[in-house]
Amino acid sequence: MHELGIVIKAVKNVEEFARENNVTKIETLVLQIGALASVIPRFVEECYPMAVKDTMLEDTKLKIEVLPANARCRACEKVFNVLEEKGVCPYCNNEKPEMISGNEFMIKEIIAC
Amino acid sequence: MSKYKIIEIKESVFEDNNRRADLLRGELEKEKTFLLNLMSSPGSGKTTTLVRTIDALKDEISIGIMEADIDSDVDAKTISKTGVKVIQLHTRGMCHLDAEMTRQGLQGLDTQGIDLAILENVGNLVCPAEFDTGASKNAMILSVPEGDDKPLKYPLMFSIVDVLLVNKIDAMDFFDFDLEAVKERVTKLNPKIKIIPISAKTGEGIDQWADWLRCEVKKWNEK
Repeated sequence: MHELGIVIKAVKNVEEFARENNVTKIETLVLQIGALASVIPRFVEECYPMAVKDTMLEDTKLKIEVLPANARCRACEKVFNVLEEKGVCPYCNNEKPEMISGNEFMIKEIIAC
Repeated sequence: MSKYKIIEIKESVFEDNNRRADLLRGELEKEKTFLLNLMSSPGSGKTTTLVRTIDALKDEISIGIMEADIDSDVDAKTISKTGVKVIQLHTRGMCHLDAEMTRQGLQGLDTQGIDLAILENVGNLVCPAEFDTGASKNAMILSVPEGDDKPLKYPLMFSIVDVLLVNKIDAMDFFDFDLEAVKERVTKLNPKIKIIPISAKTGEGIDQWADWLRCEVKKWNEK
């Protein structure tokens, strides 16, 4: 359970963004998490109430979108889903894909006034 | 109608840290201090490997060590016996060091006149891989008793490091550890990685590791 430290960091970034942009009330925070990120959505949801306690985000809703684990084949350059294909290019069977997405931990947007 | 609106941010949580890390790296380059970030699981032999590394290099390179742990100063005490400058950093519960904490550590160490600063990161194969510390190069240790399946379980760590030390090879006969399988799994994730089998206990492989480090420090400090 290493998510708490990372979620606290995300909350701080959102608070900073809100201050800079004169946002006074936030209703929902939307995060994007890659399917291969070592941040697990279920644990993020669990520790969210602790991370936002006594911050501007206390009592806000959390929404998480999972991004696919896509890679580009180093041989044929086609893009494929690494988890579905178990790391092997379905077009040419090369086993050394270059990751292009799936490790993200992004603040996508906030719903606020 | 709701008065709420959607405000797009689209920022990686790590981006702010990445910026600080790049800034720190630039400053270290000007200052001519090479920073090595050393990562591994708890108990892989980081501190013993460090003592060997210090012994191999301290006569030619001035070295400073930062020991990062959640608590205690046992590692700093062990290192201080080698005679090099060492400080202990406490992360207060955090399982990794970020660029800002590393900067504070470097200030505490005072890097003036130090050619090689080594950060012994918190023992953990997950979070330290996600936070760029601003290091010139990243190294990790995988020890034989941990098993050859670790690259499969912690792919991010193995894909971001420049060098992998496989430690405790003197104990290879007692464990089902397939070094060739590790090499294959790791190069699949990270084709450019350098893999050096060592034994911090017997000293085997330490020369090769010290050569790599000496060469990298030289390259950095002559930039």
